[in-house]
Amino acid sequence: MNVALLIFHLTVMLVAPIFMVGIINRVKSIWAGRRGPRLVQSWYDIARLLRKTPVYSQATSWIFPYAPYFVLATTITAGLIAPVVPGFAILAFPGDLIAFAYLLAFGRVPLMLSALDTASAFEGMGASREATYSALLEPVLLLSLGTLGCLNNVMSFQDIVSAGTRTEFDVTVLAAIVFALFVLLVIESSRVPADDPTTHLELTMVHEVMVLDHSGPELGVIQYTAAMKMTVFAMVIAAVVNPFSVAEGGVIAMLSMATSLVLLGVVAIVVGLLESLTARLRFRALPLFILAAFIAVVIALVAVVARQGGLR
Amino acid sequence: MDFMLIGLLVFVLGSVLALSVPSNRARVIANLVCQTVACVCVLSQTIPVLFGGESLTGVVQWSYPVERIDLRLDALGAFFLTFSLPMTFLGSVYAVGYLATDIRSTRHVGSHFALLSSVQISYMIVYTVQNAFAFLVGWEIAALSAWLLVIWNHRDQKIRFAGFNYLVSTHLSLLFLVAAVMIMHGETNSFQFADYQRFLATPGIRRGLAFVLLMTAFGLKSAFFPFHTWLPRAHSAAPAHVSALMSGVIHKAGLFGMLKFILLIGKPDPWMGWYLLAVSAASAFVGVLYTITQRDIKRLLGYSSTENVGIAGMGFGMGCIGLSLDQPILVAFGFGGGILHILNHAMFKCLLFYGAGAVYRFTHTIDLEKLGGLVKVMRWTAPLFLLGSLASAAMPALNGFVSEFLIYFGLLQPSPTLGAARLPLLLAAAVLALVGGLSALSITRSFGLIFLGVPRDPHHVDPTAKEHPLMVVPMVIHLVGILLIGLLPWVGLTIVSEPTAMLLKLSSSSTYLLSDFVPTALIKSLTWIGAILLGLFVLLSSLRFLFLPRCDRRHVTWGCGYTKPNTRMQYSGSSFSDPMTQVFRDLLRYLRSETLPKGPFPSDGKLETHCVDAVEHSVFNVLHRGERFVATVLRWIPETSRASIGFGLVVLVVLFTIVVMKSRSGM
Repeated sequence: MNVALLIFHLTVMLVAPIFMVGIINRVKSIWAGRRGPRLVQSWYDIARLLRKTPVYSQATSWIFPYAPYFVLATTITAGLIAPVVPGFAILAFPGDLIAFAYLLAFGRVPLMLSALDTASAFEGMGASREATYSALLEPVLLLSLGTLGCLNNVMSFQDIVSAGTRTEFDVTVLAAIVFALFVLLVIESSRVPADDPTTHLELTMVHEVMVLDHSGPELGVIQYTAAMKMTVFAMVIAAVVNPFSVAEGGVIAMLSMATSLVLLGVVAIVVGLLESLTARLRFRALPLFILAAFIAVVIALVAVVARQGGLR
Repeated sequence: MDFMLIGLLVFVLGSVLALSVPSNRARVIANLVCQTVACVCVLSQTIPVLFGGESLTGVVQWSYPVERIDLRLDALGAFFLTFSLPMTFLGSVYAVGYLATDIRSTRHVGSHFALLSSVQISYMIVYTVQNAFAFLVGWEIAALSAWLLVIWNHRDQKIRFAGFNYLVSTHLSLLFLVAAVMIMHGETNSFQFADYQRFLATPGIRRGLAFVLLMTAFGLKSAFFPFHTWLPRAHSAAPAHVSALMSGVIHKAGLFGMLKFILLIGKPDPWMGWYLLAVSAASAFVGVLYTITQRDIKRLLGYSSTENVGIAGMGFGMGCIGLSLDQPILVAFGFGGGILHILNHAMFKCLLFYGAGAVYRFTHTIDLEKLGGLVKVMRWTAPLFLLGSLASAAMPALNGFVSEFLIYFGLLQPSPTLGAARLPLLLAAAVLALVGGLSALSITRSFGLIFLGVPRDPHHVDPTAKEHPLMVVPMVIHLVGILLIGLLPWVGLTIVSEPTAMLLKLSSSSTYLLSDFVPTALIKSLTWIGAILLGLFVLLSSLRFLFLPRCDRRHVTWGCGYTKPNTRMQYSGSSFSDPMTQVFRDLLRYLRSETLPKGPFPSDGKLETHCVDAVEHSVFNVLHRGERFVATVLRWIPETSRASIGFGLVVLVVLFTIVVMKSRSGM
């Protein structure tokens, strides 16, 4: 059983990013009245980039060519910790959610450094924005996972999302946390309304402007990593929402895996719809967007502590 | 104890030799040899105690009024001595490289090395004596030596000012400490810590007052917010190794003091733990917030010290809460994480200051806005500084992560018996997460501006400069420590196990160890994470360089259509931190001077912004306003006839009332 789950986890983590991007793009094009690219189009794009010969900037040092691979390594490691289905993650131990948050943080630093390595003002600007928003997101991420832990009195990722019988109270708390996680997903993977991945004006970008000087395999790896990071967050959301735990085995486990896959698709569709329907926020408004998520989590936390008889 | 005494005497001998031997070379060599011998002597005693050996005790007889000084080397003191002595020795080795020109000149450098030895002596006193009077003497030796070390380049007025600022602050801390000792002496009529225990173990208002005074004194020493203002000044003025030792090692005495008195208190009142947690969280946040605004590398690292002592203090606060709520798990993770963070901070902070010193020797500036591109010329310092920075931002697989992980683990404790305490603990974890995010921004900014890109000011790259091997070696040794604890967290936990056990014994009669609380799965998994991360990185990058096309030509950086970029057009430090400082603009003070270009053919225009310390700024503002108010009033009263008559009347009435009251009560 565990081997099957392990293979399932690895497959979702490595293959789903391509389809997530495909679904988002398909939803956007259907909404705009076009047929849109194939679901696996981004894989062809990445494969083409991997075959190209890169050109580096004259200003860059040894950090530049290695950074994308380090970012990919941290994202994969974080993906091993994040569960797809309740009750199973490849790397599970008490306190793994702290390691998850810090691995993602570790993955941002090399990319920001390689942006500064090119000596370009535009890329420095992107790095600065990325650093700012991700720093503000850290407490939201940790607090939402911590609140989940508080709800179930456990400290491991695979258990804090493990389902059981859910009361109305649990569902309300979960809704607040899923909202916060979704805000995290949107900002971390630079989607509208936080950032627009398809814009062509450098001044308005966050993530894309950091990679202006990357080309060839490095650019391909960065694109794949960004998609994977989005998938990792979507995995966490799917695992939190999914009511079936794989720990029960048999049919329930199969059902659980199927539900998580559907939920990943739903997340991608919601992101696509959001991109079609809303405009990008002003940069000044982004901290408020993050604050909204933070407040949602704090309300959930207070509710959980009060419910358990802590506050009288 | 005998070897400790021999060690102490050899340190003294080292000082004497450094002052008396004829040539600079001989002074340095004699001093370093003595330090080596003394460190070996002392470490041979402390290491067994640190790993579970019996505590060593001794007595020194002294004249009236002290009479008797008890010496006791317990696991906590042994922990502090075990890292302080060798690190100070490494600092002295670094000094040989850093002061190479001074050593070749006719200047007497012996005094500098003698002072480094006297700092070592002060550790031996502070970390072993059980007598308040001797403790204060050791404290004072450390303070004065550090002050004299800071003003090594005393010809510069700014440096003398920073030194004076430090001297005043450190004596303010001494005043608080003396006040606390006076309270305790008044209650017990003794200087012995053992006697204080009786007083401190019983709850009461006086104990609370003593606690606040002690925490203020130790907070001033370790530069907790809002008593941190002396630190960035002193650190930026001192030679690099002195800043490193002050930040990493000498001022850890404040944290030692906190632990020492928590041990004497035993079971603190709940407010004490919350107070410590709140002050520490504020220190961590304010410290890191200021690191993102600084343009002087050493000031930046100074604020980062405030951040890191805050993180360690959060651990201690949580431990105190655990002691008062009877939650040994909080005690274990709070104190275990906090104590380990002291060691980790010492390692990476020394490394970073040594790196900053190397940059200064290379470029003759530590202004971020003038540096850049050093990664291509400083082959050793750049990667060392990078890893040190990453460790300071608690990135996985490096040592800072291990200690912060333990603190997080305590803060996120899922035990339902904690009740309402969970809410503030989780919010404290959120603060720690924000601190982590800000420090990732800060290290990206500092490393990116110093080492990456191209030099912003080409005058500042000295083509003849080389990295001095004696400056590189201490950095490498610190890096080994960082990687060892980062990749094998077991090592770090073993080191702090005994000191934490001393605090755990306070919580209940049973003898818990740190390892009873830390699941073995956790330790193994942390090692696994490091291994997987590095393994994947090596695998992915080697696959890339084996199978994918390599770069065969280089091109200028894409300028987004602009064809004449120059090196000044790189992103600057203040613009990098601007989005974040906008978010927290109410907490930061900027001094701004600008000359705007005017007219149809504008000539010069300029804009200068300086982020000044809000606390220092407002203290000076309040003093300034108060002084001006008093001066105005004093001038106004005699000059205006109405006012002088009115005030004269008031004074007469007051005097009359006092006299009448006195005479009535006298009757």
